[in-house]
Parts: sequence; C-alpha cells; structure tokens
Amino acid sequence: MTEHILSWITFIPLIGMAAILFVPRANVALAKTLAMIATGIPLILATWLYFGLYDKDNGGLQFVRQYDWIAGIRAQYYVGVDGLSLPLVWLTTLLLFIGVPASFGIEKAQKAYYALLLLLEVGINGVFVSQDYFLFYVFWEVMLLPMYFLIGIWGGPRREYAAIKFFLYTLAGSVLMLVAIVALRIDMGAIESVKNPFSIPEMVAMAKSGLLDGSHLPFGGELLGMAFATWVFWFLFVGFAIKVPIVPFHTWLPDAHVEAPTPISVILAGILLKLGGYGMIRACFPIVPEAFHQFAYVLGVIGVVSIVYGAFVALGQTDFKRMVAYSSVSHMGYVLLGLAALTTWGTTGAALQMFNHGTSSAVLFLVVGVIYDRAHHRDLNGFGGLAQVMPKYWALTTLGFFAALGLPGLAGFVSEAMTLLGAYESALPGFKVLVLISVIGIVITAAFLLFAMQRVFLGKLNPKYAGYQDMTFREVFCQAPFLFLCVALGVFPWFLTDWMRASIQLWVDTMKG
Amino acid sequence: MNPYVEGLRLLAPEVVLTVVALAVLVWDLLLKGRDSHKVGYLTLGGLAVTAWLLLGQWRTLGASGGVHDTLAYGMVTLDRFGVFFKLFTVGSLAVVALFVLFDRRERKHGIGEYYFLLLGAAIGIFFMVSTNNLLLLMLGLELLSLASYSLAGFHKGSKRSAEAALKYIVFGGLSAGVMLYGISLLYGLTGTIDLAVMGRGSADGTSVGLAAQFATSPVPVAIAVVLVLAGFAYKVSVVPFHFWTPDVYEGAPTPVTTFLAVASKAAGFAALLRFLGALFLVEGVESAVAAYAERIGLLLALLAAITMTLGNLSALRQSNLKRLLAYSSIAHAGYALMGAAVMSEAGFSASIFYLAAYYFMNLGAFGFLLYFEGVTGSEEVDSLKGLGWRYPLVSCGMVVLLVSLTGLPPTIGFYGKYLLFYESVHAGYAWLAVVAALNSVVSLFYYFRVAKALFLSQGEECPTIAQPVLASVITVLAVFTIVTGLFNRPLQEWSEAGPASLGIANEGPPR
Repeated sequence: MTEHILSWITFIPLIGMAAILFVPRANVALAKTLAMIATGIPLILATWLYFGLYDKDNGGLQFVRQYDWIAGIRAQYYVGVDGLSLPLVWLTTLLLFIGVPASFGIEKAQKAYYALLLLLEVGINGVFVSQDYFLFYVFWEVMLLPMYFLIGIWGGPRREYAAIKFFLYTLAGSVLMLVAIVALRIDMGAIESVKNPFSIPEMVAMAKSGLLDGSHLPFGGELLGMAFATWVFWFLFVGFAIKVPIVPFHTWLPDAHVEAPTPISVILAGILLKLGGYGMIRACFPIVPEAFHQFAYVLGVIGVVSIVYGAFVALGQTDFKRMVAYSSVSHMGYVLLGLAALTTWGTTGAALQMFNHGTSSAVLFLVVGVIYDRAHHRDLNGFGGLAQVMPKYWALTTLGFFAALGLPGLAGFVSEAMTLLGAYESALPGFKVLVLISVIGIVITAAFLLFAMQRVFLGKLNPKYAGYQDMTFREVFCQAPFLFLCVALGVFPWFLTDWMRASIQLWVDTMKG
Repeated sequence: MNPYVEGLRLLAPEVVLTVVALAVLVWDLLLKGRDSHKVGYLTLGGLAVTAWLLLGQWRTLGASGGVHDTLAYGMVTLDRFGVFFKLFTVGSLAVVALFVLFDRRERKHGIGEYYFLLLGAAIGIFFMVSTNNLLLLMLGLELLSLASYSLAGFHKGSKRSAEAALKYIVFGGLSAGVMLYGISLLYGLTGTIDLAVMGRGSADGTSVGLAAQFATSPVPVAIAVVLVLAGFAYKVSVVPFHFWTPDVYEGAPTPVTTFLAVASKAAGFAALLRFLGALFLVEGVESAVAAYAERIGLLLALLAAITMTLGNLSALRQSNLKRLLAYSSIAHAGYALMGAAVMSEAGFSASIFYLAAYYFMNLGAFGFLLYFEGVTGSEEVDSLKGLGWRYPLVSCGMVVLLVSLTGLPPTIGFYGKYLLFYESVHAGYAWLAVVAALNSVVSLFYYFRVAKALFLSQGEECPTIAQPVLASVITVLAVFTIVTGLFNRPLQEWSEAGPASLGIANEGPPR
C-alpha cells in the first residue's frame, strides 16, 4: 500500500469518475457522495504521506515507482515526490476536496460535472508526481479537456469564448513543449550511459554533466539559427509561462476566471497556475541550466513586469472577479523573480509563494462566489455597506484580503518577503533594482484590495442588499481550511519550509553547478 | 507444385474478394434488387474470410523479405508491407459496409451494386499495394479510381453527388494521365517498368538503373519522378493536387466519403512509400542517389508543411461537418507525409503508424457524421447543437475522437504525432515538427467547434432516434483510440514490420 501511495492518490479519483458515470441520472446525491469519497481518500492519503510517511531530511525523490510502460519508445510509468512537489500534491487534494461541497450550488448536469472534476484531479496530481517526461506530458494535456468543459458548460455568459481561449492558449504552449521534449529525448537516447531517456532526473543529471547539449541531433540541434539550449529552453519556458501565466501570455486568465463557476476558479487559481511554476522548477530550468543562467536576468525582468503590471491592471478593474484574476498574475510574478535569483532564499520564497497563493487566491475566489451567488453581479461599484448586513462575511474577507496583500503574520508576507530578500541577495547585479521596482507592486496590491474592500463593505448600505443572508455553514466550511492555512503558515512557516529545505538545497546546488 | 496453382494459393485473398464481388452481383440480380441488406451481409462475410487469409499470410511471410519474382511472372510482390495495407483496406471496408447497411437515409432496396463497387475498389487497392510493377500499379489504381467515380455518383438523383462524380473523373483522369506520362518517361530512361530493377538496373544490361541515369541526365529523371509523385499526391490529396477533395467528399454519399478518406488515401500512401523506397532507398541504390533522395525528402517536407497548413486553415471556415472533415483529411495527409519526407525505414513506419491512427479516428468521425445525418438530416455543425446531452455515448465517443484528431494524449493520434515529430527532428526537420505542432493548435479550434455544438450550446427539443449498430461502432473505435494510445506495442510492431520488408538500407534511428 504505502509504496504505491502516489499511484493511489493519483488514480482513486479516476475510479471515482468511472463510478459516477454509472450512477443513474436522477440520483444526484449519490454522485455527490461518490465525489466526496473519491476526493476525500486522496486527501487523507496525502495528509498521511505528508506528516507520517515522508522523510523530510531526504531531499531526493521518495516513494519512487518505476515500471516500463511504452517499451517501443522507452517511456516509463515513473512516479515519485520530493519536497517541492509534496506540498503541492497535498494542496491539490485539499482544493479538489473542498471543490466538491463548494459546487453543491451547481444545478446543471451534475453527474458530468463531478466526473470531470475528478478527471481534472487525476491530471493535476499526475503532473506533480510524474518523473518521466512522456508521462508528465500526458498528464499535462489530460487536464485541458475537463477544464474546457468545466468552463464551457457551467460558466458564465461568455463561457464558450473563454473555454476555447483557455484551451488554445495552453495548447499552443504545450505543443512547442512537445517539440522540445522530442529533441531532448533524441539527445538522451544517443547518450550511452542513459538508461531511461525520458526520465527527468536523468535528464537533469546529464545536463549537469554537460552531455545533454544537442550534439546528437542534426546541425548540432540548431533550429532556425538558435542554439539547442536556447530554443529548448524557450519552448519549454513559454509552455509553462502560459500556464502560470506570465505577462504577456496572461490574457486567457481573466476571461477564464470571470466565466468559470466559482469552484473552478478556485481550482484554476489555487492549483492549475502552480503547475506552470512547478514545471519550470522540475522540468525546464535544471534541464537546460546554461540557458537559464544566460537568460536569468530576462526572467527576473518578466517576473517584475508581471508583478507590477498585474497589480496596476487589477487596480483598474470594476469586476470583482477580474480584479482577483489580475492579482493572481501579479502574485505569480514573485515565483519567477524568486526562481530567477537562484538563491536558496529566493527559491524557498518562490516555492512558498506558490503554496500560499494557492490558499489565499482560493479564499478570494470563494469570497467573490459568496456575493455573486446573492447579487448575481460582480460590479465593485454596485455594492456598499455590506459589512452591516454580513458581518461574518466581512470578517473572513478581511482576513483573506490581508493574507493576499502580505500583512505580516499572515502567509503571504512570509513568502513575498523571502522572495524579495532572496532576489536582493542574488549574485546578479541588476536584481537589487528589480526588487526595488517590484515593491511598487506590493503597494498597488494593498491599494486595490483595500479600495475594493471599501467599495464593497464600507460606506452607506445599498438598500437593495439590506435583506442579505450572511454566509451559510457550507460557505464558511469551504473557506475555513484556506483561512486557517493563511494564518497558520504565516506564524509557523516551517510546516512547509522544513519539508522543502532539503530538496531546495539540492535543487539550488544542481542549478549552480 | 504447379506454379499456377501455387500462384493461386498465394493470391487467395484476391481470389476470394473477386468471387465475393461477382457473387454479390449475381445474387443481387436474383433478388431482383430487393433486400439489398442480404448482399451486404455476404460482403461482410467475404471480408471476414479475406481478413483471415491475410492474417495467415502475415504469419507465414515472416519478418522480412517476401515472394518477389515467382508470383505472376514477378508482377505481384507478396510482402508484409502489402499485407498490412490489404488488412487495412479490409478493415475499413468492413466498417464502410456497416455504414451502408445502417445508413438511415439510404434506400433499403436496389443498392446491391453499392457493395459490388466497394469490393471492386478493394480489389484495385489489393493489386496497387502489392506490386513492384508500375503497369500493374497503374491498373490497380485505375480499378480503384473507376469504382470510386461510380461510387461518388451513387446517388443518381442528387445533383451534388453527380457533380462530385464528374469533378472526380475530370481530376482523376488528368492526374492518371500525368502519372502515366511520368511512368512512360521512367520506362524510356531505364528500359524497365519493374521498380525492383529500375533503381539499380539489371545485371544483364537490358535495363540501365535510375542511379546511373541520375548522373547523366538528371533533368528528365527529375521530371519523370515528379510527374509520378504528382499522381500519388492526387490520390492522397496533397496540396496542390487537393482541389477535388472537399467537393467530392461533400457530394459523395457519406459511406463512400469514408471509403475515399480512409482506404483510398492509405492505398495512395502505400504506393507512394513503395515507389520512394524502391527508387531511392533500397540497398545498392541508396548510396548512388543519396543527394537526390535528400532533395526529394525536402520537397516532400515542404509539401507536408503546406498541405497541413492549408488544410487546417481552410477547415477553420467550414460550417458543414462533412466538408470540415474533408479539409481535415487533407491536413492529416500532410502529417502522414512527414514520415515519408524523412526517407528512412523508421520514418515510413511512423507514417504507417499515423495512418493506422487515422483509420480509427476518421472512421469514427465519419460514423458520427452518418449517425447525426440520420438524426437531423443535416451535415451542418450547427445542427448538432445541444445533442450531446441527448446522445451521451456517441457524443462522448466523438469528443475522444476529436481529442485524437487534434493529437492530444492519451490517444493514438497523439502517439502517432509523437512518432512523426521524433523522426522529423531526428532527420533535421525540426522546423517541420514546429509547423506541425502549431497546426495542431489551429486544428483544435475547428475540431472543438463540434464539441462546443454538442455540449456547450443550447439546442431545441426533438425526438431521440436510436441507432445501436452505428453507436457501437463509434464507441468501439473511440475506446480503441484511447487503449491504443496508452498501450500500443502490437500496433507499433505491425507498423514497423511493413517497411521492414521493403529492403530499405537506411533503417533510421532507434526509438
């Protein structure tokens, strides 16, 4: 059991999905129960794995399972976790578990909805545990289809447009990734000491020893005049950057968020965006390290542009959900900045930021969902004085907003501060300037969140909203775990950092060469 | 044993197919045009026997080589390459026959010759894919074409069907002429019409090899080769010989379109690959013409890039699902051509694997089209609006097929594309892989218009019509698409066994 725990976590939702498909259409309660069970068991297993089974002093891969899968191309079923992926696996199982009760308000074709939700979980967790690039890519693409339908069928008025835009953007990124993966695979296949040419850890090892350089490809691996490392790096990077998303590849995100139903927005912001950052850490930077060093400065600049630009655009929004969506662009910029700095602190900050943004953005989207379910609009200027009728809602929202804007004592502060400190420490000269510029982003973030709070909760009560019911138990139940994490990880960040430390040290050492 | 008897034994599948075709014709006469489904079931039975015989041949032929010189005075070559495509043809014909049998809009009586023509076309393909003799190849091709012309115009009362047939004849006649002219030039230059001899020439000096002619008179050789290639390009609808495709596919009855898109196209590819292999890649020729092979490869790579791009871009604007699938089949011809452009055994096998993937996805997609023609009577994508919720099984099957057509994992379409990318990048055509990758993104847009109509859009209420046989065909194909996408060792071995029997010198990279 324990040695296969990663496979169980990944594939139990698939079993649940198959079960739901056989539920009679009228029996919605059974479908919901099955969805709760099929997301609950992975959460329990992941919690057990996190606190009980995982050895946090060992930075390498644990719970590794390796089997031949498609022998014809030497692809393997190869899974394992380390300190970088484990917290994200746990976060995925939590988000998807909360995603089920958060979806109880949905009334259209519920059976299909929960089936797709479970399929989505398979894809996400599959990416986090895959150590074989072919397997990684299969899971990476498996996510797209359920996401397309979840936005497209259960979304808002412009859902068809948002769904296909999301699909096209992410696919455009991932097909280029595929070409890069093929090139890497060919080069790996020609190196004699390589046992499994698709294995990501082996690719990293070969890259470190300088053997993975495209010399086994025609023309030395050049493509249209670009050196092998350069184009492979950019093809992989753009694929992941679209997912993050990083300016200028972010335009799908506001549309997808605004149109998606609340639970899907939560999952999208909470975990799908992290796949991009995680992909860079796992399967892009260490595989072409020399290109990473060459372009570290460019990456830092892109990160800062995302931070500042995302914050400014969020400031200009009148749609509550769109504002939160742009805040994600801004917050995810820290991840790139922290990684580009290539310091232990910066990397830890980036990894923390991914987790903490997962919890805080989940809160923000749930907050939007609460008011949208009542008012059926999201116009920030259309509310006012809600604090008077919905005190519980106001209190929880305030906590969520403060976590998102990085108030000391809450989780967002720890990760942002660590990222900026780490970037400031960077050996690269320009990074101190970048940190200074990104501080503008922090100020603007505080501004748009507080401005939004003022417009929605303070001031004179709009009489239209006088009769509003405060948050229900279900709504509080959905937000509670994320708010708890925002507070707990603000005070005790070592509940994450202790698990990450060894792996991050290993990663930074590998990258520094 | 008497060589004639021995020959008949080896040609048993062809003989069975011919006997069945004639039996269909005679029985249909005796039935006086009534109860045409009876001859349909006879056709299916005949195809089953043929498939069984072919599987037997596949086993006895062994890993490489085959029967070359003895059969029908060397006119017919029996190797795994040919048997693979014959099985492919029988497989697609069986599905097409099911389509004809269960097409709700087709007449139930007086269509016995439908099956006869389909079987006739199959016999043409059988000879076309298993010969090194350009004359027999031409005869097989013409038999296939003549049957296809009549099939395209099978709905005599329909103006569109008649138009399709006429267009097909005009284009087909022209390209056959062009190809025949190329063959005559090749004959003039080398003194033989046997591909096995044409490459390196014969030992007794009656034939000068093409390799020698390349050195002395490159221009006429190039013209001849390009003219023959044009003929194949027409058959597999590669740009710029694709103009007939959308109109003919749209006008022909849907089962016929399916046949043209799957079996006929694969046959064209088979002949093309055999031609390229024999002239440029077999042992003894390869080193002498390496420089020309490279240029032909580049030409094919460019054609592949143009074909897939044009096919996909044109498909974007289509609102008619049948026409959309026609353009999509042009795009897929472009993808499959990537493997041919690599000019190695592994590249050919990638092409063949892709054709096998194409077999599942396109038979399924056309089955879906036929299914909903039977429901709504329309071919428009918009007529599918909201129907996904009322026909969940077929529609989910179609979504799987669309995912595969786009080339997303975990389906066979993705795996086929992976193999093509692998061979292209390995051969130095990384740019072609990039073009193909971006093309998948374009194709996603129009394929998912179908998914959008099915599940995302709202439709009007109308009665539900069950078509269990078509539904199960689509479901089985969709399930196969996923299963073979995840576990495809047997299929990959089959696709590698075919080109292995061509004797190509350059095996290509190990996978």
